[in-house]
Amino acid sequence: MEPTLRDGDWLVVDLGGYVRAAPQVGDLVLARDPRATERLLIKRVAASRADGLMLAGDHAAHAPESEWLGPVAREAVIGRPWLRYWPPRRIGRVSQRRI
Amino acid sequence: MNLFTRALAPRATAHAHCDIPCGIYDPQQARIEAESCYRIIEKYAASNDELFRARCIVVKEERAELAKHHIDVMWHDYFKPEHLEKFPTLHETCWKAAKQASLVKRSLDIAEAQKLLDLIDKIDHMWRETGGATATRMQAAAA
Repeated sequence: MEPTLRDGDWLVVDLGGYVRAAPQVGDLVLARDPRATERLLIKRVAASRADGLMLAGDHAAHAPESEWLGPVAREAVIGRPWLRYWPPRRIGRVSQRRI
Repeated sequence: MNLFTRALAPRATAHAHCDIPCGIYDPQQARIEAESCYRIIEKYAASNDELFRARCIVVKEERAELAKHHIDVMWHDYFKPEHLEKFPTLHETCWKAAKQASLVKRSLDIAEAQKLLDLIDKIDHMWRETGGATATRMQAAAA
């Protein structure tokens, strides 16, 4: 997810963030990995399809990853990451840049 | 981690890495390398050629390192929490196997190579009981 997120970032996730409004293309989501549901993922919504959300990372070199991840059910989305509170020099809102 | 950062530490870890798990796993990769170690130790013991024996040591160390890598892939990438519930000794077995691979790397004792094979066979058993080749290998086309 670089450059948006880096390994070891500590984030606040709004667990109700997508209860009020469904995630849109370009939104960051915390979701359960469809391949191993105990595993949590943070990705960006690349596309919204009838069978679920296609998620992708921000790193340009890894762009096609939504193809192997497959569609993620909307119920698998847990929340909206919105604030990085660690490390101190990078405290701030997490980019909700639209693709 | 001090008290302050511990209090602030997140309660859950999420993965954001762009890894590409291919989903192909088979402990036989580790076993083939471990079998190489076993055979190389035999050949080392049977030879009086110092150059050949030196080569045996170099190649065995490479093979043992590869065996450890393949054990680690099974442990870190293939096995999941539900497998651990089914096999409570899973972590201990993988840990011992990785340690044994390190031991074989620096040893010329064939009994240690056999222990490594036995530990890999235990991993193989857990792999077979949790899906095995049906779940994690592609089927070869009929000849």
